[in-house]
Amino acid sequence: MNAPVNASPITTAPLLEATGLVRRFGGVTAVGGIDLSVFEGELVSVIGPNGAGKTTAFNLISGLDKPDAGAIRFAGANIAGRSPEGIAAAGIARTFQHGRVFANLSIADNVLIGAHGRLRAVRPDWPIIGPLAELALALVRPASVRAEEATLRDEVSEILSLFGDRLLPRIDQPAHSLSYANRRRVEIARALAARPRLLLLDEPTAGMNPTETAEMLEIIASLKARGQTILLIEHKLDMVMRLSDRVIVLDDGRKIAEGKPQAVRTDPAVIEAYLGHGNIGAAAPAGNAATAAPTLPVTA
Amino acid sequence: MTSWFDHTINGLIIGNIYGLLAVGLALIFGVSRLINFAHGSVYVVGAYVGWVAVSVLHTPFPVTLALVVILAALLGIAIERFGIRPLAGAPRIAPLLATIGLSFVLDQTVQILFSPDPRSVPMQLPNWRLEIGGGSIGMLDLLIGGIGITAAGALFAFLKLTKWGWAVRATALDRDAARVVGVDVDQVNRIVFAIAAALGGVGGVLVGMYYNVITPTMGFEATLKGIVAEVVGGVGNVPGAIVGSLLLGIIESYGVALLGTSYRNLFAFLLLIAILVLRPNGLFASRHQLPPEPMTGTFIAPSKPIGLPVPLLAALAAFAIALPLLIDNGYLIQTLTNAWLYALLGLSLTLVAGTSGQVSLGHAALLAIGGYTSALLAADYGFPVWLTIIAGGLMAAGLGTLLVSPAFRLRGHYVSIATLGIGEIVALVILNWESVTHGPIGVAGIPPLEFFGRPLYDTNAIYWVAFAIMLALALLQVRLLSSHLGRTMRAVRDDDVAARSFGISLNRYKGLAFAFGGFVAGISGAFTAHMYSFINHETFNTHISVLALTIAILGGMGNVGGAILGAVALIGLPEVFRIAAEYRILLYGIALLLLVRFRPQGLLGTV
Amino acid sequence: MISRRTLLQSGTAALLANSVGRSIAAEPTGEPIYLGVSGPLTGPNAQYGAQWKQGFDLALDQINGSGGIKGRPLRYIFEDTQSDPKQTVAVAQKFVADKRIVAELGDFASPASMAASPIYQRAGLVQFGFTNSHPAFTKPGDFIWSNSVSQADEQPLNATYVVNKLGFKRIAVLYLNTDWGRTSKDHFAAKAKELGAEVVASEGYQPDEKDFRSTLVRVRDAKPDGLFLVSYYADGALIVRQARQTGVTVPIAASSSIYSPKFIELGAEASEGVFTNARFFPEDPRPEVQSFVTTFQAKYGKEPDAFNAYAYDTVVLFGQVLREAPNLDRTTIRDTLARVKDVPSVVYGKATFDPQTRRVLGAQSAQLVVRNGRFTLWDGVKTN
Repeated sequence: MNAPVNASPITTAPLLEATGLVRRFGGVTAVGGIDLSVFEGELVSVIGPNGAGKTTAFNLISGLDKPDAGAIRFAGANIAGRSPEGIAAAGIARTFQHGRVFANLSIADNVLIGAHGRLRAVRPDWPIIGPLAELALALVRPASVRAEEATLRDEVSEILSLFGDRLLPRIDQPAHSLSYANRRRVEIARALAARPRLLLLDEPTAGMNPTETAEMLEIIASLKARGQTILLIEHKLDMVMRLSDRVIVLDDGRKIAEGKPQAVRTDPAVIEAYLGHGNIGAAAPAGNAATAAPTLPVTA
Repeated sequence: MTSWFDHTINGLIIGNIYGLLAVGLALIFGVSRLINFAHGSVYVVGAYVGWVAVSVLHTPFPVTLALVVILAALLGIAIERFGIRPLAGAPRIAPLLATIGLSFVLDQTVQILFSPDPRSVPMQLPNWRLEIGGGSIGMLDLLIGGIGITAAGALFAFLKLTKWGWAVRATALDRDAARVVGVDVDQVNRIVFAIAAALGGVGGVLVGMYYNVITPTMGFEATLKGIVAEVVGGVGNVPGAIVGSLLLGIIESYGVALLGTSYRNLFAFLLLIAILVLRPNGLFASRHQLPPEPMTGTFIAPSKPIGLPVPLLAALAAFAIALPLLIDNGYLIQTLTNAWLYALLGLSLTLVAGTSGQVSLGHAALLAIGGYTSALLAADYGFPVWLTIIAGGLMAAGLGTLLVSPAFRLRGHYVSIATLGIGEIVALVILNWESVTHGPIGVAGIPPLEFFGRPLYDTNAIYWVAFAIMLALALLQVRLLSSHLGRTMRAVRDDDVAARSFGISLNRYKGLAFAFGGFVAGISGAFTAHMYSFINHETFNTHISVLALTIAILGGMGNVGGAILGAVALIGLPEVFRIAAEYRILLYGIALLLLVRFRPQGLLGTV
Repeated sequence: MISRRTLLQSGTAALLANSVGRSIAAEPTGEPIYLGVSGPLTGPNAQYGAQWKQGFDLALDQINGSGGIKGRPLRYIFEDTQSDPKQTVAVAQKFVADKRIVAELGDFASPASMAASPIYQRAGLVQFGFTNSHPAFTKPGDFIWSNSVSQADEQPLNATYVVNKLGFKRIAVLYLNTDWGRTSKDHFAAKAKELGAEVVASEGYQPDEKDFRSTLVRVRDAKPDGLFLVSYYADGALIVRQARQTGVTVPIAASSSIYSPKFIELGAEASEGVFTNARFFPEDPRPEVQSFVTTFQAKYGKEPDAFNAYAYDTVVLFGQVLREAPNLDRTTIRDTLARVKDVPSVVYGKATFDPQTRRVLGAQSAQLVVRNGRFTLWDGVKTN
């Protein structure tokens, strides 16, 4: 197994460790016993043909779906079957494959929602008293609450500046008025605002043109450089190859390969899986699948 | 024991009748994802067409049925074409409201054409009866059952075996995908509405013959029971609707047997809530279904709210305060007082439904809880009125949130159905819990409003106090919306899945919305109770819940100013239409339809 | 603006309605005197408002046909409230402010009527409820009056009929679960017990209920020897039809509220043999009843029912009050209500108010039974 790039040398337990994950829908097994681990500071990519079970695995990790079998340990605790909000509180934030921004909220509010779990007002989760205290704080709004809100707003601008002038000039526009690519950016900004220990990115460049994709690659690379632990689903293999410390390949709900990008690229099982499916995914550049080279085609 | 056999038979007989409506509702919901509140009106129209055929044209039974089928189907097609289809691109709440508007229009038209008097529909079948248990069942019972089962069977075959059936199922699964693969979705909808309406119309005439009485207002109750039956069977599940109807009939019948007649509907609505909480996909749905993929922002219209400048708002408020001094018109002042009280209800619902996305159809229950709490504390226990009004608000906040909490796990239309049921349950508990609520006698002699210990009788004084309370709570709500809570609740509304992924506990924020909204509505109910001096279980009825929703949507969902504007418009409109006498509710319905058609995001826009 | 136009409209409507009366005698030509009517013309209770109008119009024909009130015609302004309290309070303010209105009639249901009472009481305009039997209706003050038959008066008459004459010993009561139905049931049960009968079952049902089979099986299991219904005609008809279908064969009696030709139309053959104790009866030889029934039939081509009669009686009563009142001040009207004696009444025979309760005492009743599709005077036969 690879040593994580940015992890301290004495870390032995992975940050996230899923073992034997199983999820069936009716008669279809979407995920059939996957093991998966991410170490602190690592960027791990999950690739595989459409229907391989990548998003299902993400849903299981983030709590939107519950596994039929298997364990998920995050920072030492078993989180399998926990609610999404519980998992978010544990330090995992995610983006969604099809882009799920809050359409009627402004960009700023969308990103502030990402910081929801960090608000002092929401912290005590005692029944009844907690919510009522939160309501009281929201209505009375003492100086501490105002200061916290102001700090967060500054932080929002800072996060948005990561995307250059893509989002900052539109900070008060509602998200439904944004382009598809900008909505994906808002999603990432929102996830970053949670300051997650683990960031799950589900196809962050889907629907983006080459320029935008290149821009996104730089942003993810800079996040990685800051030490952000990332689990990435991506179809654009060139991006995967350039960013990943490790790559996990899924097919038909099973892990068929795992390793360094270069090793995976030449793995016969991986090539077989991709060729067998005819292409490597909807977002891949046309024509690549036809190249029956011994390595997976990458347009770098 | 022979009586239990009889109760079972009786349950099946009434269940049979529910089935005729439930099947049509299920079909429409299955394909159009729409609770069709106009379905009961089609049933009314069918009944009156049948009456005309039998009593005026003297047609034989098969011709009567054929006429009803044809005319009801045409009505169904017209509803789909002019009421529903223009709203295809609108948020899903728009067609829901459109069906409510259509039901006003249809019911009122029937009432104007045929007078509100109940009419008898002579039976056209030989009156032979089959002795069974201690009672008997007639040919009509068997015919209704036969038609229900045949219709369900035929529909099932149509859906499974024919090309159009395939298209209908495809549309039900994914409308956009069906369109992409070449299904004529409009044609599918037309077919579905025609079939459902024909069935509903036949239901109307058969039930009319069965009971030998039809009235223009019989549709609403029928729709309610049809919806309950449909949910029990699994929304959109046609054979399930039949079984659900029979089950509902039997449970009601056993409920009557066990506890008495006044508990009948309580059993029906408790069954509804139990099913929604335990098996929201109905009794027959498989347990392992894909979690439904919510579509972002499809329930509420995204729009740019119209921002009113603060000086204008201040000027309007000043005008409202000065109004009683400018003109001496008690009628206008009273109407506006009502508007301020309904604005409170609108504020409550616009927070719950608009800001938080929980479209409640049982909001009148919060008024009832607030009103009864305050009235009973003041009238029976002698507490000062200002204190009991606050207690009414707090009770509505607490009890309302508690009662609705089982529905927190639901989304979309299911929330509406559940809250509708919870609203009915509250009214029925008030009716039956005599030792506390005085039951059907109601609470009389409620002490008048008071202001620092002085009783408040003067129309203008009541107006000012109502306005002050409304303004204060509206400003408080504005403050709430500008805080992190407003943002969080709107996030819950826009995409609850994404919200949860960022640590937002849905129960907590839905609960807070209902608690704040419950307080506001409870204050309104309590104030109203003291102003009226008498309330009973019918004072705050389902029609008020529908009105509340109309106010919230008219103003713009989540929009505080919109709720106030909506209340003034909707309390004022029927008064303006007063010159139209019997036609005024018809005009009101038409106004509602036009609004939904041309401004689904409301006058001031969704926030 | 609104009120003037409404007024004109209603005035025109009243004129049209009165055209029959005018053909008999010349319409008086003074400034009209107005009664305000608050009642349902739309919504679920609309049929009752429609029935009221027929009764009002007939009475106005007669009053205006015989010279009106001191040479001035009597009219009414009917404001639709749907029997909805938020509309009755607004209408109350409208009537209170309209100085031409001398008294107000209605509303229909208790929640709607009683919500407006504080406004009428406060403003000093008589609110006259003629279908409001709620025991607390007249309590808000001295301007709130009613000639609705007190259930404390009527139900003992029913109990006596049912127990002493028809011989019911084990009675099952089905009642409309409203303030009226509940109050009626309680008075009935108390008197029936006093007379030595037993109430073996009592079932309250909702106004929109249509299916009574389960209720009737439950009632049947209590083994009653007679059924008593506190119902309106539409629900009463549904019950008698379904009673026979569920094997309930005991005789059925009902309170006077089912008295309507519609009861027989809707109940069809099942209404045969049903006993009732009507407050007025078309074949009653008293002249006030005969004049009402014949003129009603001439005008509308059908038999009047109980709600027609209440409405008619009320306007006739106000005709007399206004004639006797020394002036048309609202307070004078109230005082005159307390003073009028023995006003001819279809329902009471002679109506006189108790100034303390502001209600009329001593309801008349005729013991009836349905035979051959008609209400007829009871023939002494105990079974149906």
